[in-house]
Amino acid sequence: MSADPTLRIDLDSSVPAYRQIVDGLRVLLVSGKLKPGAELPSVRRMALDLGVHFNTVAEAYRALADEGWLDLRHGRGATVVEREAPPPSAEQLDEFRNRLRSLTAETRAKGVPAAKLRSLLRAAAEEL
Amino acid sequence: MRTSVLIFVWPLILVAAVLYVMPLITRAGIFFGATVDPDFPRSSEGRRLLRSYRLQLVLWSVAALAVTLAWAPEHPLLGGLVPMVVLLAAVSIAYWRNFRVVHMRYGITRPEVRQASLSPAAAQANLRVGLIAPPFIALGLTALYLRLHWSEIPERFPVHWGADGQPNGWAIRDAHGVYGPLLMGIAMSVLVLVMAWVIARLSRNTVMRSVTVRSLEVLLYPLTLTFIVIGLLPLMRPANPAAIVLLTIIPMLLTVVGVMYWSYRKISVPAPETDVSPEPQRDAYWKAGMFYYNPNDPAIFVAKRVGIGYTINLGNKISWLVITGLLLIPLVIALLPALVPHAR
Repeated sequence: MSADPTLRIDLDSSVPAYRQIVDGLRVLLVSGKLKPGAELPSVRRMALDLGVHFNTVAEAYRALADEGWLDLRHGRGATVVEREAPPPSAEQLDEFRNRLRSLTAETRAKGVPAAKLRSLLRAAAEEL
Repeated sequence: MRTSVLIFVWPLILVAAVLYVMPLITRAGIFFGATVDPDFPRSSEGRRLLRSYRLQLVLWSVAALAVTLAWAPEHPLLGGLVPMVVLLAAVSIAYWRNFRVVHMRYGITRPEVRQASLSPAAAQANLRVGLIAPPFIALGLTALYLRLHWSEIPERFPVHWGADGQPNGWAIRDAHGVYGPLLMGIAMSVLVLVMAWVIARLSRNTVMRSVTVRSLEVLLYPLTLTFIVIGLLPLMRPANPAAIVLLTIIPMLLTVVGVMYWSYRKISVPAPETDVSPEPQRDAYWKAGMFYYNPNDPAIFVAKRVGIGYTINLGNKISWLVITGLLLIPLVIALLPALVPHAR
């Protein structure tokens, strides 16, 4: 079996496919599983494999290009580029804090103990 | 039985045999085109549904054979085409009814999870040059052999035979007449390769894709053998050339059966629970268990649920252009022989 990185999405999920693609690719980029210089499949190929519209993949690629992760060339796929993470602005930190609080509340509401949540967050921070 | 009647009978028997085994030539977890538990086909109800389908198939096949024996070859339409169409229609209805029963009573829903390889090289298949080159080389060597033995070829030789086995079309010893069958073989082989290439590039990364592409590559061998034999007939001058041409069907049949069996072994292996099926899962996309319709899927070619190969996504507008193109192919093939001048 090939060890090539893969992207998995759930078309039944309430999270839009575009968001799942962006989030899934970002996890691979931040974790280093997709390294600078790596070429992603073309928009057409990715859309075909995921069973989503071409525009959904194109939009996801553009969003990641805007974040500085990808270099998009016309007629080709996308290439992962070296990226210097810019220092977060105060607004971004606020937004991140709010999202994390919402996610924490949702997780706690589903019965996950605080200790378990702490270990999950630590593992995620170390992995990425 | 007369040979001329056999020509009408054997396609019926062949089609009936394929339809008989067809419900079992499927991926694990699919039965009559519906998504089921992988063990359901072996359950008592699964076996009962299969028996019911086969019983209907046998009865319609016997009826079709009776009509053929009564009317062929004197009435080719009534004795050949009509029984075949009626058989296919009746068996399709039996299949569709079983699909409804299986889907409504025993169907299960699998999650619509999709997975894409992020390696561009792994995402698409490639044709194997080493596998597809020999048939073309053989056609070229045959052309060279004919050129070297040009003077031994008769001035006029038969190239077409009627249902009674008697020649009804001749060619003269010129470039078109001698090399025509080989050119036809090249055209047919290129057509098969185009199909393989399209599936390799425009379908999802599945086991079905690899077996379909390899099967098409292997089918080039009996296909080109047929045209090589036809091309060499003027030199061989056999007592019964029509029989020789019919004999070339045997390697073709054996290859098709072998390829189908190999493909079945490959696709019927149950996938591990952790694996994601790259093809859409919902039965709702499969009309009557046979026709794929999903306007939200950009794919044009989708792996068939029953049988080996691919079907077309009828919900994709581009698919209708492809269908038009596919309908034009027989027309082009029918016009190709016109390039070979016949001296009647």
